[in-house]
Amino acid sequence: MRVTSNMSNDNSIYNIQQSQSKLYKTNELIGTQRNISRPSDDSVNSKLLLDIGYKLKANDQYLSNIAKSDTWQHVTSDTLTAMSDIMTLAKEQVATITSGSSDATIRQNVVTQLQTLKQQMVDMGNMQLGDQYIFGGAKNSVKPFSITSPYYSGDETAINIEVGKENTQQINIEGNRLLTADTALSQPYGSTNVLKAFDDLITAVNANDVTAIVAGAQALEAGAKQINNAQSDVAGRLVRLDATTKIIENNRNTLETIYTNIQYVDNAKLAVELNQQQIAYEATLSATAKISKLSLLDYI
Amino acid sequence: MGLSTVLEIGRNALNTYRVAQEVTGENIANVNTPGYSRQRVLLETAQTVSANGFTVGNGVNISKIERYYDGMLQQQMVSAQSTEGYDTAKSSVLQQLEQTFNEITTDGLGAAISDFFGAWQDLTLNPDGTAERQAVLSRGQILTDTFHAVSTNIEDTISSLNDTLNSLTDSINTTLTSIAELNGKIKLTGQLGGNSNEIRDQRDQLIRDLSTQIGITYTENSDGTTDVKYADGGAELVTGSAVGSFSLTVNAGTGHYDVNVTPPGGAVALVSPATGQLGAVISLRDTTIQGYLDDMNDLAKTMFTEVNSIHTGGFQHDGTTAGTNFFSGTTAAGIALNISATSEVAASGVSGAVGDNSNALKMTQLQNSLTMSSGTETFNAYQDGVVSQIGLDVESSLNAETRDIAFTTQLSTLRESNSGVSLDEELTNLVKYQRSYQASAKLVTTATDMMDIVLGLIR
Repeated sequence: MRVTSNMSNDNSIYNIQQSQSKLYKTNELIGTQRNISRPSDDSVNSKLLLDIGYKLKANDQYLSNIAKSDTWQHVTSDTLTAMSDIMTLAKEQVATITSGSSDATIRQNVVTQLQTLKQQMVDMGNMQLGDQYIFGGAKNSVKPFSITSPYYSGDETAINIEVGKENTQQINIEGNRLLTADTALSQPYGSTNVLKAFDDLITAVNANDVTAIVAGAQALEAGAKQINNAQSDVAGRLVRLDATTKIIENNRNTLETIYTNIQYVDNAKLAVELNQQQIAYEATLSATAKISKLSLLDYI
Repeated sequence: MGLSTVLEIGRNALNTYRVAQEVTGENIANVNTPGYSRQRVLLETAQTVSANGFTVGNGVNISKIERYYDGMLQQQMVSAQSTEGYDTAKSSVLQQLEQTFNEITTDGLGAAISDFFGAWQDLTLNPDGTAERQAVLSRGQILTDTFHAVSTNIEDTISSLNDTLNSLTDSINTTLTSIAELNGKIKLTGQLGGNSNEIRDQRDQLIRDLSTQIGITYTENSDGTTDVKYADGGAELVTGSAVGSFSLTVNAGTGHYDVNVTPPGGAVALVSPATGQLGAVISLRDTTIQGYLDDMNDLAKTMFTEVNSIHTGGFQHDGTTAGTNFFSGTTAAGIALNISATSEVAASGVSGAVGDNSNALKMTQLQNSLTMSSGTETFNAYQDGVVSQIGLDVESSLNAETRDIAFTTQLSTLRESNSGVSLDEELTNLVKYQRSYQASAKLVTTATDMMDIVLGLIR
């Protein structure tokens, strides 16, 4: 093949460009520490990276939902424990008078205690988290419980949130199912109207009606069980939230590993490549410099 | 036959080697001229004569000055450069647009969609909360803003591609005119018996230049002229020294330019460019980039339909007023928030239940619903697909460009090998012709000396 000096020049420029372009790419990889800086770097894995990015974002959102639900459940659990304690105190008070008493002062004492405990029960029923009544269902404008009948003015709406993809969990306990279950459409914990039981007991004690006092004591017992059932429900939810959190975190670890494997560069490999490219580039420059100096002009 | 013949041979040789040096000089001077083909002097023995019963030579003549030219290579280069022109134009435009869809390193439309539904997730936890409602509105606003930004970028690219057609067709027309003019000169020079090597080189270079802009076919005529035809449709562009032209008319339907060709002496006709830079511009404008815009419009329209359908099924903050459309506008450029007050966000799905979150929950579940591509993809997956598609388009156009450049470089090398000037070679010729010139001069002086001797005999 006939070779002219321009061919050598063009060839040198082409090769220098090739070396430069490889160095540029390696430099970009080292500088950004990413294999993929734009979709065209690897269009297939780009889609995967974006997909993993959204999944990680969704997981963060689910974890945030779970954290908020967790707070809600703990507040609910604490309130239910307090309610349970109130029921225990009420039962103790009633136990002192199950056979009735002819002493009006003793009866009055019990009545006062029961009235106080009922008030506490109503206060617990009106517990708020932020500005939300935790037992009010979907009604937030008024306190769900009042001291007089009808005791419950909330509704029976379940508030569900997403804790995973197509995985929802109820965060609230409907107040009427808890304390005025006889009026609830669904009675998962029991059918006792706890507040009415207090009122019936107060009437019975005032009237010294032993049969009614015994019936009231039984109603209180049933009411305490009802609250315990709700506590079990909340405990179950907490366990589920915990399990879901673990699943999401495991999932996140897996996704992050895949993401890292695809996206982050192997520095050792790049260092070796850079070295090779540097040697190749220096060789190209040196060859170009040597060849371009040669001319017949220097000899004639 | 006499001494004067020797003088004549010497004189011819001197002239011949002077011309040979001129050609060498021309070659050396044009060593870096693009498209220049090296020339050489073809020598032949002059007409012989008979003298004293012998056939005797009469010195040297120049039979022709020819250029090294490979017609086949020229054809290949023209075809390869059309492909390179197409792929290079495509890859450079797509690379610019790729940044709009680069959601790998920066948040884009996909993240805006994710964040929008994330805000609805937060709202499910506190459907009554003003801050959460405000977040839904703000994320909705960011989503529509991102739609606008993406569609503006795409539309700007389409519009600037359309504008490019003006300068591109002007440049093509100028080249066509120059080719026709040079054809005229070549023909005239040929008729006068002259040497048109340089003009041919210029014309061939222009044909190669033209081939990056449009695909062409050409035929070389016996009179040295070249006729050029348009590869897309076969319209004549240059016939001898007659020239056709490209023109643009605005299409009333699209508002974009249509490309027309008027052949020499013919009627204007609509063409569909598919090769060279011109083909790339049209293909990008009408198919590739328009395709991305259509995808964005699809996404915006489905977002509009699905979100509104759920939103109108819920109740506003007062618990009684039915939800209105959340978005207005059904294109990526036109989509906007239809509501502005936090109270208008319809989180509740039950009339009268202010704190109900069932509608917000429905909205969050929309993110994972298969709403796009006839019920096969989610919003995010669809957007990922678009990003991946433009990535693939850029990747393949870059690969094509690299391949084309390697191929045209190889062809240029072959052309250079055949037609390029080698300085070493020319310097050798320079010395060779110089020596020959010196020898011829010596012939003349020797003949003169001999003539003096003869004249001395007479004295």
